[in-house]
Amino acid sequence: MTDSVKWLILLFSFGMIVVSFLIGWAAKKKASDAQSFFGGTALFGPLTVSLSTVAAVASAFAVVGVPGLIYSTGNTMNLWMLSSCAFAMAYMAIGKRIRAMAEVAPIASLGDIADLRYGYHRGIKALLSLVLFIGAIAYLASQISACSALFAHLLGWDPYVAGFIIFGILTVYTSLSGEVGGVLTQAFQGFIMVLAGLIMIIAFFFITGGFSGVVDIVSSAGSVSAVVDGKEIVKQFTPNAMNAWGALPGSIAMAWMVIPIIGTMGQPQVLTRMYALKNPKDMPSLGLYAGLGHFVVGFFALTMGYAALYLVGKGLISPLAVADNAIFAVADYVGVYAQLFVYAAILAASMSTASMFLTLSANILSRDLPNAFGLRLEGKKQMNVSRGITVVIGIVSILFALSSGEAVAILGTFGWGTLMSATFPTFILGLNWKGASSEGVFAGLITAFVGNIGSLWLNNHGFVWPGGLPWYVNVITASIVVTVIVSLVTKSNKETQIDPRVDAVIDL
Amino acid sequence: MEIGQYKTQMVLLITGLWVAITLCGWFGHWYIGLHLSVVLMLLHMMMGAAQNGKLDRKLLVYPMLTWAVVWIIGFVLAKQNSDAFLNMAPTYKIFGFHPSFAWIILCYWIGGVLTLTIGFVKYKNLWLSDEAWDRFTEKMKQFNKGGQ
Repeated sequence: MTDSVKWLILLFSFGMIVVSFLIGWAAKKKASDAQSFFGGTALFGPLTVSLSTVAAVASAFAVVGVPGLIYSTGNTMNLWMLSSCAFAMAYMAIGKRIRAMAEVAPIASLGDIADLRYGYHRGIKALLSLVLFIGAIAYLASQISACSALFAHLLGWDPYVAGFIIFGILTVYTSLSGEVGGVLTQAFQGFIMVLAGLIMIIAFFFITGGFSGVVDIVSSAGSVSAVVDGKEIVKQFTPNAMNAWGALPGSIAMAWMVIPIIGTMGQPQVLTRMYALKNPKDMPSLGLYAGLGHFVVGFFALTMGYAALYLVGKGLISPLAVADNAIFAVADYVGVYAQLFVYAAILAASMSTASMFLTLSANILSRDLPNAFGLRLEGKKQMNVSRGITVVIGIVSILFALSSGEAVAILGTFGWGTLMSATFPTFILGLNWKGASSEGVFAGLITAFVGNIGSLWLNNHGFVWPGGLPWYVNVITASIVVTVIVSLVTKSNKETQIDPRVDAVIDL
Repeated sequence: MEIGQYKTQMVLLITGLWVAITLCGWFGHWYIGLHLSVVLMLLHMMMGAAQNGKLDRKLLVYPMLTWAVVWIIGFVLAKQNSDAFLNMAPTYKIFGFHPSFAWIILCYWIGGVLTLTIGFVKYKNLWLSDEAWDRFTEKMKQFNKGGQ
């Protein structure tokens, strides 16, 4: 890449960071009370919420990691990325009840909803907060680590400089404007991702002439090798990569279909946006807009993986030493405008996910966890404490993410499945079924907490679950089973004992 | 269609399906697991879409059951074609895709959006009617006025 292209990328990226900062700055006026600052509650229309949701759901992994996985194992990962109808499913399954809780009492976090449903059960709030915090920090550290390393490598900077410029500015505007700024900046970043996606999809068709050429090349290329930097790199092609399930075992294909689709309804970045919607009757439109936004982002990832396979199979570029370089190899092949939009998309994906999980983790530490232990700050004081905690988490996360590569990689195991294991018992079951008791959900959350930590330990000691099934599927199932069984034999906050206002929500 | 009184049974079925899907993954029956997951998702949507314990039949037929049928057809055709062309290049393509993956594109991805997403917009009143929402917010005002 030439120096002029690097400067263009730098200018383009810096422009995006500045616009994000200005949006965050302008939004701070709207963050006038705890509800708007912590939750952005009932403030936004469906288009803004949809772009924000898609941007927060699609992390840097979706833009970089997914094309890499498609390059190395074929279509298996596409089952995850083509889950665009999951938003409508999520809103249909839980949307109106989450949104309705904002009419019951002032709602600013998922912890507030758990409070109302389970009679202010401290254990539930504490454990829910802990599991969500683990997942949030894992996401946050992964975004900072990947994005800082990428821009540091590209521009020849120290990773700390890149990290503090990108995520330091993000921390400042997030601390000023809270979730209001979060939703608005993520909507802008979501728009950039969709725009970049559309441009790169068009580029894919120019490079390959369509999918047929990719299938032909992958089915017939066999083995392609080249010497790169004095090392022989071999790419082994198999026609099975192009079938519906890809080249990975079937159990992985199954998990990568079930977990993203049904798991969308259990992600905080989706749940919290349900109560950010002003008019609940707009939720079907929100499902449509989010589905369409995701449609483009999912297809973008698919085409980039396919383009890399095509270029390597046809001998137009050398096999990749690192699969995660697939999207960069395609962008380099296409030229300057592709490089600009690919880097913008990665920056947008990292920033949107990072800001979402920065506010979530700051809200947990400044609000939900202290509440669970009986410490309650009011109004402005709580917002100011949260602003301070956002800055501290932001700085500590940047330092941690850039100094503890191995720890970040281990922590990166937590994510989508971890978050699901906590939200399914608490909200997906609890707000649809009056039979969910406090004891049941508490037991389910203990199972989720222990299961996540235990699985991390097992994972790092080489344990493989039967059938190669990803560990989080087992943890989610265990937490649901425990929640339901314990609920059946216990009584608190179920059936007639539910707050009548929450009872009306479950009937809605 | 009254489902309110069967919610505990539905939750038990959901729990059983999670266990069954996990066991399918453990013991290599992933293809059965895919089909079970469609039933699992359908149950979640049915529970979420019910108003006062009642699920409108129209909403059940379209988008929910239509979506389930489209997905199951997609999985069956995807499996048939992946088995037919295992370890070999496909002899034909659909819209340029491998004939197995094409059914994932058509049914799972596009079909999923066309059924669930569009159907949800079309029948949004059957999911949450204006009257139900207004009644609910009025009820909350009364509750909160009463100091609840």
